[in-house]
Amino acid sequence: MDMHPTSAGSRARAPEPDRRRIAALVALLVALLVALPVRGVDLPGGEAKLLPPEDAFRFSARAVDDHTLEARFDVADGYYLYRDKLGFTVEPAGLASGTVDLPQGIRKHDAFFGDVETYRGRVVVRVALTSGRPGQALVLKADSQGCADAGLCYPPTVQQVRLALPAAGQGPGPVVEPPRKKGWFN
Amino acid sequence: MRSLLPPPAWRWPVAACIAALALLAGVAVSRLGPSADQARAGAALLATSLPDAQGKLQPLDQWRGQVLVVNFWATWCVPCREEMPQFIRAQAESGAKGLQFVGIAVDQADKVQKFAQEIGLNYPALIGGLGAMELSRDLGNSLMALPFTVIIDRDGRVVHTQLGLLKPDRLEAVVAPLLAAHRHA
Repeated sequence: MDMHPTSAGSRARAPEPDRRRIAALVALLVALLVALPVRGVDLPGGEAKLLPPEDAFRFSARAVDDHTLEARFDVADGYYLYRDKLGFTVEPAGLASGTVDLPQGIRKHDAFFGDVETYRGRVVVRVALTSGRPGQALVLKADSQGCADAGLCYPPTVQQVRLALPAAGQGPGPVVEPPRKKGWFN
Repeated sequence: MRSLLPPPAWRWPVAACIAALALLAGVAVSRLGPSADQARAGAALLATSLPDAQGKLQPLDQWRGQVLVVNFWATWCVPCREEMPQFIRAQAESGAKGLQFVGIAVDQADKVQKFAQEIGLNYPALIGGLGAMELSRDLGNSLMALPFTVIIDRDGRVVHTQLGLLKPDRLEAVVAPLLAAHRHA
């Protein structure tokens, strides 16, 4: 049997070449759609699905009154923070009273470090100030370190927000998030 | 004379198939990565010197010619610690065949030394500090997370990088053919 049909032969079997062209274009588009996502899927350990630390551990804060800040971490599902790795600093430095009210975490036994506590979901921390004036601008820096259940850990990360203390009797200030980094992934 | 070109009605489907195949081939090549990049990444890592837990500077170059498994880890990273016993086993089993593990700890020397003693570490533990995270980023650890493992062949080329746990069967599959291969350079 002839596997290479002649022009005349195939023309006789293809009365509607336009329809074939459309079919070929559709086939090409399908091939493109199949081929393109391959790069993302094959990254080792499902790397493509892992969040950068600032998204896994979303930090935000607000000034509750002229002597109290409230820091929050919204920990994404499947991630956790270590309680003893949370640290807060306030600039200007004299403003912090040193009292940081860390809530209780989930207790776990670690073979090397002993008992450790971790946080999942939302963590709210109160940071006390010594003497603030209404309207005073300050920077709250948060150190944190956490891991993903997928089996990897992030190095210690620093995130910071700028806040202004509310005037007396005005109620808490707005919740402020750190400026988002612009990148390929967001 | 018969034309080599396919009949007109077939030209579009044939062209589409060729385009799709070319695209797939391009994607496959880009995933393999050009070997020049692998050599460059390997050379950069081998050119690094880091102190061990005793403070003695150790050039990574001293392990050139071996199949090198460089593992970035830390004592504060639980998954890192969990995968280290399998590295210790592999080092004991295949060290004589030219397999060499090297740990780069993003950590403090005293903690590394204490943990290395506790676990019975049988391969060098170098102290990288946070600068080691940048070294790992240059090797493809875009998230700068741990554990991150780089496997280098006897010719100094990076042949595998792994963010997150390196499963024992994966390690075996990558390392076995590299141990069997002879050095070219």
